Amino acid sequence: MSEQQFSKSEKFWMNFKLYQLWRFIVLNIKIYTIAVQSKWR
Amino acid sequence: MAKIVVIGAGFAGQTAAIYLGTRLGKKHEVTVISNRDVFGYVPSWVWVGVGHMKPEETVFKLKPVYDRINVQFVHAAAKEIHPDPGDQYVLGEEIGTGKPVRLDYDYLVIAPGPLLNFAGTPGLGPENGFTHSICSLPHAVKARDAYLALVERMKKGEKVKIVIGTGHPLATCQGAAFEYISNVHKDLLKRGLRDKADILWLSNEPALGDFGVNGVQVKRNGIVMRSEEFIKSVFLDAGIRWQVQTGVKRVEEGKIYWENYEGQEGITEFDFAMLIPQFKGQPFKYIGKDGQDISAKIVNPAGFVLVDGKYGLPYAELAQTPEAWPARYQSPAYPNIFAAGIAFAPPGPISKPFTNPNNFQIAPAPPRTGMVSGMIGRVVALNIVDMVNGRQPGHSERMTEMVAACIASMGDSLWDGSAVAIVMRPVVPDRKKYPNEYGRDLFISHLEMGTAGAWMKFMLHHTFLWKFKALPGWELIPE
Repeated sequence: MSEQQFSKSEKFWMNFKLYQLWRFIVLNIKIYTIAVQSKWR
Repeated sequence: MAKIVVIGAGFAGQTAAIYLGTRLGKKHEVTVISNRDVFGYVPSWVWVGVGHMKPEETVFKLKPVYDRINVQFVHAAAKEIHPDPGDQYVLGEEIGTGKPVRLDYDYLVIAPGPLLNFAGTPGLGPENGFTHSICSLPHAVKARDAYLALVERMKKGEKVKIVIGTGHPLATCQGAAFEYISNVHKDLLKRGLRDKADILWLSNEPALGDFGVNGVQVKRNGIVMRSEEFIKSVFLDAGIRWQVQTGVKRVEEGKIYWENYEGQEGITEFDFAMLIPQFKGQPFKYIGKDGQDISAKIVNPAGFVLVDGKYGLPYAELAQTPEAWPARYQSPAYPNIFAAGIAFAPPGPISKPFTNPNNFQIAPAPPRTGMVSGMIGRVVALNIVDMVNGRQPGHSERMTEMVAACIASMGDSLWDGSAVAIVMRPVVPDRKKYPNEYGRDLFISHLEMGTAGAWMKFMLHHTFLWKFKALPGWELIPE
């Protein structure tokens, strides 16, 4: 990422649905895993 | 048989009620007292505020849920708490009739959510002022109506000024305001009216992207990226102007009066403003057995419940003392009283406070809504379960240990909507455990924007409503 506006490439990936599906899966796994750890406290 | 009373049915109170009801409800008496008979899913009110979601899609009736999980419901506003041993009870006023209600308790959870202190900023708020809020459902509906009226003016070619941010120098919940400004931008873009609006972010944060948590920092490709740069890119991309380090002092029709870090005073004009008010604790009366006011033993001057934290440390020392943050959210004066969500008194700010040359303090208060509220509600409930079963309370989670995920909506469309996914661990930096400049786990902390975020926000709306209705499998959904 540049220090100013998002680049064309960054904007492309933010809207590319197949890549976003991958990010959706990764983000869900990441958030679920760390949030579940909290339940053990 | 133990009697447990929960005051409030928001994120913290509802989480506590579900855990208590399902674990103790059959053998013990669990009662929720709330001045609202519905649960409101606050994160989606940002969509109500731009007319993209019907208000009724964000609420459900509490009583049918409680009937299933052995929790009694009293639709009343709590007024007094009598905590002295021997005769411990909550006094309330039934909504509609005004009849007095008395609830005896052995354990008490105070989780009523914040008092929206519009009075702290003259001219602020939708009821007695000139600005709007999305902090309650009626306020979000009013904000929507005013926003849609503004849209009509823009359709006729009028150029307007929109200001969104914080309405008090000590306000919190910048995240909600960020979501609202992003959704307003996206909505106007879709309507083809974006060029008719000058949109300004006006906030008490020390820097853009601070969000009251000292910002979010993540490591990507070996480089530390800060939320300040990220949000700056978002605003530049959206053509949103920003003004941070600013405390709003008062509002008049169409004019916001403020003071900044340098001590300069100024006026910002607006046609539509949504400014988050200061949050305070609910003004319950705490009465001792002789009838005296014992509030000072239980709450701080802002009305937040004092719990097992270390209070009074200067900011520099607090920032180096993670154990100063409460672990069990239990009152030291009355160990059978717990506070959850916004109700507990934090030991100090997370973001660096600032006092300007005019002795005017500008400092975001620590956010403790959403996921943090839910987690505290669970910790409190499980500790009460321990105590009722004759054990020592065995659950704890400080905000210096807690992970928090926040999905900040930037348009609700599942096709071209977007959201910023923010994960941070811990919420309050722990510079002992994470000896980097930021006191955070830079591997776990995460900052990402894209359509996947919009899908997550949509998914969370439905999964959390499922959880808060205590439907099958609710416990598998984390707080």
